[in-house]
Amino acid sequence: MTLTLSEAGQSVVAGTFGRAMKKAGEALGSMSGQVIEVQTPMLQRCSASDVLAMAGGPESIVLAVYVGITGSLQGHALLLFSPADAHRLAQILLAGLLGPGELPMKSTADPLAYDELELSALQEAGNVTISAFLNELGMHLHEPVQPTPPQVVIEMAGAVLDAVLLDLVSDADQVLAAKTTFSEGGRAIDGTLFVLPRADSLRVLLDALGAIGI
Amino acid sequence: MTVTESPSLLVAGIGEMVISSDPRAHLVAYGLGSCIALAVWDPRARVGGLAHFMLPSGPASPGSPVKFIDTGLDTFLDAVAAKGALLGRCSIKAAGAAAMLTVGGGLAIGKRNAESMSNALAARNLALVATSLGGNAGRTVQLEVGDGRFLIKSLSSVTEL
Repeated sequence: MTLTLSEAGQSVVAGTFGRAMKKAGEALGSMSGQVIEVQTPMLQRCSASDVLAMAGGPESIVLAVYVGITGSLQGHALLLFSPADAHRLAQILLAGLLGPGELPMKSTADPLAYDELELSALQEAGNVTISAFLNELGMHLHEPVQPTPPQVVIEMAGAVLDAVLLDLVSDADQVLAAKTTFSEGGRAIDGTLFVLPRADSLRVLLDALGAIGI
Repeated sequence: MTVTESPSLLVAGIGEMVISSDPRAHLVAYGLGSCIALAVWDPRARVGGLAHFMLPSGPASPGSPVKFIDTGLDTFLDAVAAKGALLGRCSIKAAGAAAMLTVGGGLAIGKRNAESMSNALAARNLALVATSLGGNAGRTVQLEVGDGRFLIKSLSSVTEL
């Protein structure tokens, strides 16, 4: 399915996604007790290769929290961190929950080794962040948008994203990708949020936003 | 053993193929998850090809010649043959087709890709001599045209198939 959006229509969608991504950043900030800056979101129609490039290239290693989107809008959302930033965020999240002596110690030099508590905290951070985005978006729709349970994957970005992209490109050459970057200035934690709606449910969203025909 | 950068590194991006008769060439597909890479190498002609397929079936896509196995496999095999390879004596190997995500039904495209590739090759009287398929780990693959080595790199290891 291909939808042609006018410049004004694209601007409406970008504005709505921007507000939803700001809410997502605020939710992450509230959970971590940090001030999270949200970069101006990028919304663009692009190829599968473009999405992989936006994630840092197919071989870059990421910790990804994946949440499927179901309900009136269908698609996929991913919150990506570099392994080092994911460790830092996990430590911040757990410090707010546990006493100093209870914090998990890093037992190996392997940057890809995570304590079970760290993974649980990061999974919840992704869940809260993406749910905040969907809640904001759901306010514009007439039916609820529901997240699937979150899943944490530590992998090459290409391997994580291709499963999602293959679901989107079977009947289209391009996908609509929304991306923003969260930064926590003092500790330099960058996270990237991708939202990739399915083409066949995109019309529902565009209709609800009044982005068709303007 | 490590995957090394070659002076002639040719990358098969998602839905793309690369073919070479340069013995120094290394053909690479990065970060395969559910996608499936097919490596074809003729030991006598020293011609190799690597294709990065995305899905089992769909209409031919000019921008991504090997997006679909059913409409892209002949395009790929014909291009390898046109470079001088004789398909009947080629070593054919496949890797990828993992199941990276378990939620939402698992998006079980990897398994369907593996089955489609095996069936499509059998229909052409061709067979896979080695595979690294399935599981839940990502893979980067590299075919070295000079000697036919096919390396599989994951986050935890590099192995030769």
